[in-house]
Amino acid sequence: MANMDVEDFIQQNRALAEQVETFRGYWESEKHWEARREFILRNISDYEDPHLDQLVSLSMVWANNVFLGCRYSSVLLEKVKDMAEGVVVEDAPVFKTRDEIMKKQKCQ
Amino acid sequence: MGVPAFFRWLSRKYASIVVHCVEEKGKECKGVRIPVDTTKPNPNEVEFDNLYLDMNGIIHPCTHPEDKPAPKNEDEMMVSIFEYIDRLFNIVRPRRVLYMAIDGVAPRAKMNQQRSRRFRASKEGVELVEEKDRIREEILGRGGYLPPDEIKERFDSNCITPGTEFMDNLAQCLRYYVADRLSNDPGWKNVTVFLSDASVPGEGEHKIMDYIRRQRAQPNHDPNTHHCLCGADADLIMLGLATHEPNFTIIREEFKPNKPRPCALCGQMGHEIKDCQGTAREKQGQHDEFADSMPVSEQEFIFIRLCVLREYLARELTMDSLPFPFDFERSIDDWVFMCFFVGNDFLPHLPSLEIREGAIDRLVNIYKDVVHKTGGYLTENGYVNLERVELIMQAVGVAEDNIFKKRKEDDEGFKRRMKEKRKRMKDQRGPAYMTTGQFAPQALGRRGRPEAVENARHQAFDMRMQHNKSSAGPSGGADGRGMKRKAEDSDSEPEPEDNVRLWEDGWKQRYFKNKFDVDVSDEDFRKKVVRSYVEGLCWVLRYYYQGCASWKWYFPFHYAPFASDFKDLKGMFTDFEKDTKPFKPLEQLMGVFPAASGNFLPTTWRNLMSSPDSAIIDFYPDDFAIDLNGKKYAWQGVALLPFVDEARLRASLAEVYSDLTPEEVRRNSLGSDMMFLQKSHPLSDFIHELYRTESQEGTEIPAELCHGIQGTLNLDDDPILPDKPVASPIPTLRDITQNHAIGVKFKDPHFASDFVFKAVLLPGAKMPNKVLKPGDWEKGNREPWRPQLGFNQHRQQAHLDQSGFRALGHSVNRSRGGGQYSNAPPPNMYQRGNYRSARSGGHETFQHSRNSSSFQQPQYPPREQQSYGRGGHGWNRAAQSQQSAYQQNASRGGAPPAASSGGGYQQQFDSRREEWRDHPNNRGHQGYSSGRGYPAPPARRYNWN
Repeated sequence: MANMDVEDFIQQNRALAEQVETFRGYWESEKHWEARREFILRNISDYEDPHLDQLVSLSMVWANNVFLGCRYSSVLLEKVKDMAEGVVVEDAPVFKTRDEIMKKQKCQ
Repeated sequence: MGVPAFFRWLSRKYASIVVHCVEEKGKECKGVRIPVDTTKPNPNEVEFDNLYLDMNGIIHPCTHPEDKPAPKNEDEMMVSIFEYIDRLFNIVRPRRVLYMAIDGVAPRAKMNQQRSRRFRASKEGVELVEEKDRIREEILGRGGYLPPDEIKERFDSNCITPGTEFMDNLAQCLRYYVADRLSNDPGWKNVTVFLSDASVPGEGEHKIMDYIRRQRAQPNHDPNTHHCLCGADADLIMLGLATHEPNFTIIREEFKPNKPRPCALCGQMGHEIKDCQGTAREKQGQHDEFADSMPVSEQEFIFIRLCVLREYLARELTMDSLPFPFDFERSIDDWVFMCFFVGNDFLPHLPSLEIREGAIDRLVNIYKDVVHKTGGYLTENGYVNLERVELIMQAVGVAEDNIFKKRKEDDEGFKRRMKEKRKRMKDQRGPAYMTTGQFAPQALGRRGRPEAVENARHQAFDMRMQHNKSSAGPSGGADGRGMKRKAEDSDSEPEPEDNVRLWEDGWKQRYFKNKFDVDVSDEDFRKKVVRSYVEGLCWVLRYYYQGCASWKWYFPFHYAPFASDFKDLKGMFTDFEKDTKPFKPLEQLMGVFPAASGNFLPTTWRNLMSSPDSAIIDFYPDDFAIDLNGKKYAWQGVALLPFVDEARLRASLAEVYSDLTPEEVRRNSLGSDMMFLQKSHPLSDFIHELYRTESQEGTEIPAELCHGIQGTLNLDDDPILPDKPVASPIPTLRDITQNHAIGVKFKDPHFASDFVFKAVLLPGAKMPNKVLKPGDWEKGNREPWRPQLGFNQHRQQAHLDQSGFRALGHSVNRSRGGGQYSNAPPPNMYQRGNYRSARSGGHETFQHSRNSSSFQQPQYPPREQQSYGRGGHGWNRAAQSQQSAYQQNASRGGAPPAASSGGGYQQQFDSRREEWRDHPNNRGHQGYSSGRGYPAPPARRYNWN
């Protein structure tokens, strides 16, 4: 789904798009939200209503990993990476996790 | 406030606010302890009415102390908490009220900080255990000896969070404690005890504030109540000022930097876990008689007198020729408000305002500059005037660029000086090897000449072995060459990379790109951040002056905007959502714990933290990024944790609520404040009558029965009643068979939700006597000014006659250069330090704190006392980038002279002791800090809520 496709999809599924819009976090910039929205829209057909929260959660796992530097279990990360297949993030930030910092300081 | 620097700054600038506590100790006679009679007048020459305890400041050091071995089990922890309260009660001796408040569920605004602390604490705990195991193995492998690791399960300090079993037990134990003391301690006889445990929502200190605020808003309140609040958080000072009660004192532990800590592995003093050798304990004293009197000195307490702080602030804030009448009380509120910019628990501080760089002075200057433009005060009763705040922020914004540049310059300058100093120190090193034991060099002319040498051959062998052993250590700490290499390493220590470079042009752009991942041209996003921050300032001020405006609000970013971004604030904020509810205790546990602390939660709840199918799994990352944000160590950086989505959390929990056991349901429910009395108290019969008649509805306290205290009473389900025995929850303590206490549920007086608590002095309030020297004292040409040292103006000052000074001069060298043998260590000196103090001159000025005429220092006339700290803040810079460097200085220049009551000699003694450590003789045992591979967290850092 390229950018145009997302727009098209939103045009065609107004109600759904509006519902998805409510998932946006206040802290999310356009760039972060657009990527996560695409993540959600790409997978929404697999997570019908009672499981919608789970999709939102997975989208956050992915976004937290990419934009905030959080690490989760490898099973989980593999899963969301698969789900994010095709979502393009340009110029993603780089982070050092706490474990990495501690390891480095120990080696000094 | 998570700003330890704030108290440091305050107590240096306004030195006279600090008064050392006089503590009467219990005596022991033939093995029987004689408790102190607290009915006697307070030895501090002041009487307090109410004592408030912010209990989390007590629970943390009692359950996982940093300066002594940890308690073995929960029972010992409880006993240690009881003893701590006893100590405070003995010092303060409240005559009317003792209020104990444990942190309950906190407002959402606090959750980010709690999360970050608990996620870190969990990781730090695991790392410590790993490190211990690794070194233990190493030592045992080398054939060293270590006491068996009898330590049980590691105490996870994360359990000090509302809703855990531990907190529930603690509440039970405290009820028992209160009943016991009311029944058996005569000092408690007339005291009304309030206990607000973790089941009552709200942070401890804010529950206390709520109590005070509501009491003083009702007509029966005594406006001259003397309050004493115990706790180490700097924001207690703000809260105290915000009450506008004229008699308000804070009591806290005196902060002593670099207190010796026992090694976590072998329990001996003098080294850190990294340098543990697994050697047998050395005899302390000739016959090991000092074995248990090791240098762990008991923490001492200090009072902080807010009435004196008010005097200082009056001098600083009073402005003439204003376009509106000057009201000191309002200007205090503005001062409190401005301190929030510099740091608080709920908002990240503005990048340009660092307390160590004199940010508060800068703000006060700006405040006085722009007050003519603002045309009034910034705040009123805890409500903010945003237009006026904008003027302040814009003025800070103008200076921002220069602040960043200067910060960089100062930083570089400091590093350069440190490097030069290290170089100098290296050149001054003494000989690399020094004889020890009976061959140790002895100072001439001291009493007791050296003994004749015995068994010389053996001793020489020992010395040789000693040398071999220490140089074989893992870090080679004592080896001369090893040391040198290390020192050079730290010279060229790599700087943490800083992509933002606030001191270079384009800083704003880089900041927004790096911290928020947005372009600086994204005005909408920047406005969103500013709006949230403005909301935050309003929320925090309201929280301090009116109570929690919204349990839901929080600041949804990890960083603050710049001061210059605060534009068009007018109308940016109107009000908070009404009638919000706090989380339930177990819900909040789900919100603040990492998955690793899931053991405090029921199984199905815990699964939500770790199962990949959980609909809230994103709240619980295994590892998270830390942005050092210009700092050096991980614990100083910003933890980038995701925010909790409240709706999704509640939805997920709705499915597992049914799995709670009745016990967990109870722990998850809201509790009530409790009130306890002794049966001879005038109110006791009244309460007893309520129980007899089984009164079902709430009853107001008759004001005349309890010093004008108001509130609503409700019957307790399982009450403590006179003559009904109270079972002890702790096996080592006895049951109370002769119970004289009575307990009842208590509720603060109720006010309508739109009621505004006025931030004013109450009519009838008498202002305490002035303490500071009047500005026009010299003009009067009177006798020399004598500063007041304690609470009592007319305190008898002790004097020494000539012979006394001779004796003192003999055992304590008065000036560093003076004594011929001033470098000689005293007998029985313990190797307790873990750092080498820098030889900085300049502390000579602090040597004599006495102002008696016979002992005056010409270069330090008493009138210096008030202007102390106003001049150049040299320490500011020194403190800037190296905490440890600050601490060294702090312990020497520490409490400013004249303000400390009679502690002058002790201080001098301490600072000299550090010099001794510089002595080449001791070198072999030091320098641990330089061999450190990774930083230890700061000495006092508890996870207080």
